[in-house]
Amino acid sequence: MWVGTVLGQTHSSEAGKAPPLTTDHLSGLLSSVGSEKSRSAYRTLFDHFGPRLKSFYIRSGSDEVLAEELVQETFLQIWRKAHLYDAAKAAASTWIFTVARNIRIDKTRNQNRLVLKDETFFETAMVDDGDQDRVTYQTELMGVVREAIAELPPNQAEVISLSFFEDATHADIAQRLQLPLGTVKSRLRLAFGRLRSKLSEFE
Amino acid sequence: MINHHISDETLVSYAAGALSEASALFVASHLHMCERCEERAAKATMIGGCLLENAPETALSEGSFDRLEALLDLPDETNDTRIDVRSASPDLSHMPEPLQLLLGKDYDQLPWKSVAPGVRQFPLPVECEHGEKIRLLKLSPGFVTPMHSHHGHEMTLVLQGSFSDESGRYKIGDVQEADGEVDHQPIADTEEDCICLVVTDAPLQFRGLMGKVLQPVLGF
Repeated sequence: MWVGTVLGQTHSSEAGKAPPLTTDHLSGLLSSVGSEKSRSAYRTLFDHFGPRLKSFYIRSGSDEVLAEELVQETFLQIWRKAHLYDAAKAAASTWIFTVARNIRIDKTRNQNRLVLKDETFFETAMVDDGDQDRVTYQTELMGVVREAIAELPPNQAEVISLSFFEDATHADIAQRLQLPLGTVKSRLRLAFGRLRSKLSEFE
Repeated sequence: MINHHISDETLVSYAAGALSEASALFVASHLHMCERCEERAAKATMIGGCLLENAPETALSEGSFDRLEALLDLPDETNDTRIDVRSASPDLSHMPEPLQLLLGKDYDQLPWKSVAPGVRQFPLPVECEHGEKIRLLKLSPGFVTPMHSHHGHEMTLVLQGSFSDESGRYKIGDVQEADGEVDHQPIADTEEDCICLVVTDAPLQFRGLMGKVLQPVLGF
């Protein structure tokens, strides 16, 4: 399971590597791609998110070759849509996750795509300087989310991980883990409830 | 004012991209009507961002960035299959955007089929997974839908008018999620037809003689 190893531990064993980029820094890079078409910022984002996105696509059932193609497609869309990214509304990683998630949905569904509401929710005009507080706020929110996920009991982390990485429906999860459907739902509910209460403490 | 919202577990799966097409359409429609759930969904989506940010790395093949860079200056030939609703007429702004996009016309221009006294339906052209159905239902005032229960999961979103059942009153934008244990008998409770978007993932069970007679007719 990824979630167990997701937070804080993936980099600790990689001695000699540059420290991971912070949420704030990543959001700044994506904003630069949006406002100035900065290729160096784009390259840094690619180096950071590319290998992670590859894992994401492999985990949801793609083979190596397809996963690489989907990473390319994700980054092509990032290049073309970055001007719609608003760092005051979401961290770069959240925005990139929605792009990747929608690509995954497109690939698994053989039909015209229906708009998911949050696709436009995170997209607005560019941030002006007065929004820096809100950008910082988004970074802090991500910190709270990270902490909440890290503290999830393993059985809740497991259903979250299956949902986000393997696009498993409630019924899929119930079947795979041999659990009653109601148990799957209550674990998801508890996990999200925990996150929401942490966020409301913070807000 | 919307009083009945999408459940946490459904919202999390929506944010994760782990709902069927029909259920995702349903949730997206509610989100277009409900700012509160839109914000809740944004919070759930942050889980995905956080997991991605901290995901393990799988090395990309040699030259992968160079291949990408070669594509950046090419014209965007993405074939966007979405229809532009802003140019659509008549004005459909009273409909949630996903339904505007899907139907391209107003509710009263759809070929509704009568399935029981006071109940009409229009199945939506959405590819459904086994056993799942998504449709619009129109309940005429003064008719009582036969008492039924659910083996699976049923989600109902009010698009026009309102209905009441044993669990309360549902008005425009409200969502009812019902599971196996629920027995209910919805009734349109104003002068107006009540139009709902309904997703079911297993056939409904009708109770009593009236239900038994209607079951084959309704084709639920």
